[in-house]
Amino acid sequence: MNYIKLKPNLSLFLVIISVLATYAQLDPRFVENVKRGKHTNNWAVLVDTSRFWFNYRHVANVLSIYRSVKRLGIPDSQIILMIADDMACNPRNPRPATVFNNANQHINVYGDDVEVDYRGYEVTVENFVRLITGRLFPGTPRSKQLLTDAGSNVLIYLTGHGGDGFLKFQDSEEITSQEMADALEQMWQKQRYHEVFFMIDTCQAASMYERFYSPNILAVGSSMVGEDSLSHHVDPAIGVYIIDRYTYYALEFLETVSPESNRSMGEFLKVCPKSVCISTVGVRKDLFTRDPDTVPVTDFFGSVRPIKLLEKVTMMDISEIELPKEVEKAVDNEPKKRYYYTRPLPDFDLLVAETKKLETGIDKEREKEYVGYWY
Amino acid sequence: MRLIFVLYCFLHVKSSTFAIQEDTFTEELLIKPLFSEQVYAHFQFATTWNIDPKNENYHHSHLFPRPIGETIERLNIQELHISLTGGLWRYETWGYPVVDAAPGAEIWAWFKHNTDNVDTNWKLLSNSLSGLLCASFNFVDGSNTVSPQFSFRPRGIVESSNNTFLRYASLPREIVCTENLTPFKKLLPCESKSGLASLLNSGYIHNTKYHSVSLHLRQICATEACDKLAQELQLSVSLVYDYAIMGTKNWSFKKLFGHGLNGNCPLASRSNIFVDLSSKTSHDFELTPEPDDVIYSIRGGQEQMFAKYDIPPYFLSVGAKYQNNLDFNVNIPPPLHACQYLTGYGQERGGIVTEIYNNHWKSLDIVLLQNIAWFVPVYLHTLKIVSNNNQVIEPSVLKYGPGKQREKPYYLEVVLKLPPRSLTKISIDFDYVFLKWQEYPPDANHGFYIGSAIISSYLPLAKNYTGLPQDASTITGSFNASRVGYLVQIRTENMVITLPTPDFSMPYNVICLACTVVALAFGPLHNITTKRLILKKKNRKKLLERLKNKFVEKFFKKKEEKSENDKNE
Repeated sequence: MNYIKLKPNLSLFLVIISVLATYAQLDPRFVENVKRGKHTNNWAVLVDTSRFWFNYRHVANVLSIYRSVKRLGIPDSQIILMIADDMACNPRNPRPATVFNNANQHINVYGDDVEVDYRGYEVTVENFVRLITGRLFPGTPRSKQLLTDAGSNVLIYLTGHGGDGFLKFQDSEEITSQEMADALEQMWQKQRYHEVFFMIDTCQAASMYERFYSPNILAVGSSMVGEDSLSHHVDPAIGVYIIDRYTYYALEFLETVSPESNRSMGEFLKVCPKSVCISTVGVRKDLFTRDPDTVPVTDFFGSVRPIKLLEKVTMMDISEIELPKEVEKAVDNEPKKRYYYTRPLPDFDLLVAETKKLETGIDKEREKEYVGYWY
Repeated sequence: MRLIFVLYCFLHVKSSTFAIQEDTFTEELLIKPLFSEQVYAHFQFATTWNIDPKNENYHHSHLFPRPIGETIERLNIQELHISLTGGLWRYETWGYPVVDAAPGAEIWAWFKHNTDNVDTNWKLLSNSLSGLLCASFNFVDGSNTVSPQFSFRPRGIVESSNNTFLRYASLPREIVCTENLTPFKKLLPCESKSGLASLLNSGYIHNTKYHSVSLHLRQICATEACDKLAQELQLSVSLVYDYAIMGTKNWSFKKLFGHGLNGNCPLASRSNIFVDLSSKTSHDFELTPEPDDVIYSIRGGQEQMFAKYDIPPYFLSVGAKYQNNLDFNVNIPPPLHACQYLTGYGQERGGIVTEIYNNHWKSLDIVLLQNIAWFVPVYLHTLKIVSNNNQVIEPSVLKYGPGKQREKPYYLEVVLKLPPRSLTKISIDFDYVFLKWQEYPPDANHGFYIGSAIISSYLPLAKNYTGLPQDASTITGSFNASRVGYLVQIRTENMVITLPTPDFSMPYNVICLACTVVALAFGPLHNITTKRLILKKKNRKKLLERLKNKFVEKFFKKKEEKSENDKNE
């Protein structure tokens, strides 16, 4: 019992120690970022809004970006991945549990440890807007929440079918550019971001960011208003287009980036010139205060994490430690009781007999619990 | 600072040494060649935690996964059973699996008897599981949840088995893929770094005829005398490989899982591989390497032989090579199996039929559970139970809960005595209903799923039975484990019905058509109604005046043309 009494004090003590310890061990670069008002953490919201097999390419698009941000250091807990349909385990997929970005099967963008947070019917406009504005229902698990703060750099990537001023979700509803702009404004007012990189690969993509009016947003779209975004190539084994042009070249660029590299957002914005993309890539810089050429790609695709590796590890010999004996005593004091398994199915002959008794009124006792030592 | 750190380590080690004594983990793999065309691989990971259930602190675990511990504590959970399955278990040819699971996702939980609001906790549980296992469990709510009275009795030790603390729901549409396997592997103490879990490669697992991931949490006896309780977590993965997909009948770890086994999980107290040798009599095969031991098991009248391997800390790859002689396999179906299908045509009325086969020589007591979605309103008076096409059977007990649109599913539980060697058909009729416009999913024409029926029985013999006894948590515990009965819970096929689906482009078409009609009609009607026809007087100017006008017109026109030419120059 002593042990239990002691515990709250101990845990408080431990918290104090650990707070002291963490503060002292923070990465100086991280501390500097906090002081200079730079971003302190990275989040990514990656959304595929298309259902049905013929939209395989949109799933490949979103998984390409997922693969890149994960490789560059954003942990799964800070990536919200929304996929409207299952392509990897679709019966039409000749190679189960894989999604490739290329007919030559260079990169399995689905990977071996993917975590999809919103899937299937969960991908709706309502859920998307609730997610980014943080207005979720109570009980929503952490992995389905965007827990950003004023120090977060957020990458928002959308892909699907769009038109002038809207993006379709699952072929049944759509989000308009005004709604998108208002949602981002709400994020800004709630101090849910430091900077946003908004990336969209749809037809007439530029129309989606035209109405933005909140500060610190850098936006890029795969095509201008009035233009179609085009897909890259067909995989005959799958029978449909496998990836879209813009994302294909974006992934090609991101594959050359490492977490330490100094490649800039300016370079990233030029990954798909008109000669290869066929559509004109649209960029909106007026809301963004920094010069994209000086911003490293890893500010949005990589991750800042306050981690410090310990150089010295103190080893303890476990055998030297005395174990407290109070706990064992406490258990011994309890009166012994025999427990029984419940029979997995009731004995129906008995049950029927009982029911008949109840019906005929001979025995009006409560229905018994059929508890016995059954295996 | 140094001193504090040492102290911290000291305390940390202290608490973990406790845990070492309290948690045990075992990993096992059972490989069983099934009738003719398939091979069945079942991974069984069991963690037992000798924690006093009255002790409300589930945070300090060693091998037991912490997220599960936290869920138990926060939501007052007594028992939790989850399965995520792709494909259908074919009882007729494959016998009984170690763990039964319905296609799609299935979840049932018992809450502790002091839970205040079971429904709130159930909703919170499904939400937290949707985050934990990356599945759409958040779609579980009152509209697809039932509390069956007989079918899902607690598997472990409980204080009260009153079904008001039980909730069951299934999501037949749920697809199972890598994103469900990833978090599942993270619940294991060695994750997928070493031990049997390292064989779980998504590409190979999902290229099977049947794959199922399940999680079973319950309270068990910690001692022989059963005076202490322990928390037990069984995690299992069941796979059925098809020889046609593999290309050969000779299986090996490389063919099944992509690579060999790189040693056991060092945290496991026991790591074993068992290969069922019963099918050797019909088609002989040779195992490489030689097994460490051969186990004879007699259980419920069934004799079986298992090759046993103790997984060493170094590389191991087990394989089987079949002899070239002919395969004289005779399929002996298990005592009880079932199937389910739809009847009727058109989009007005239909019926659900469940066929249950009793191949046993004696009558069998079974419970049939149907959890029918609210959009399939069934009529209880149409319930017909006919055996062998002519014999009408009265159910011993019948429990029925009428559904309520958008709020409650139809719940039907029938207790029956199946005659010996019989085929019993249980049928019930339903109506197709119209949904509200926004209730149709984006792919409404795909159809709507009706979950599988669940047929539970306590079989008197263990023919084709591989399930674990109630008092065991490992495959080892199922050897020579003859008991009073053997619980089977057969899941039938899911069914897809096409509800009358409106043409969603209809409003658009109607608007277009209506607008065209209105536009076409508007012009003439407007003209007719607003303009008046007036008889125009004929121009009767004098000839000279007319000539003069014509001359002026011609002259003026010429002048204009000339000025235009000037401009062009």
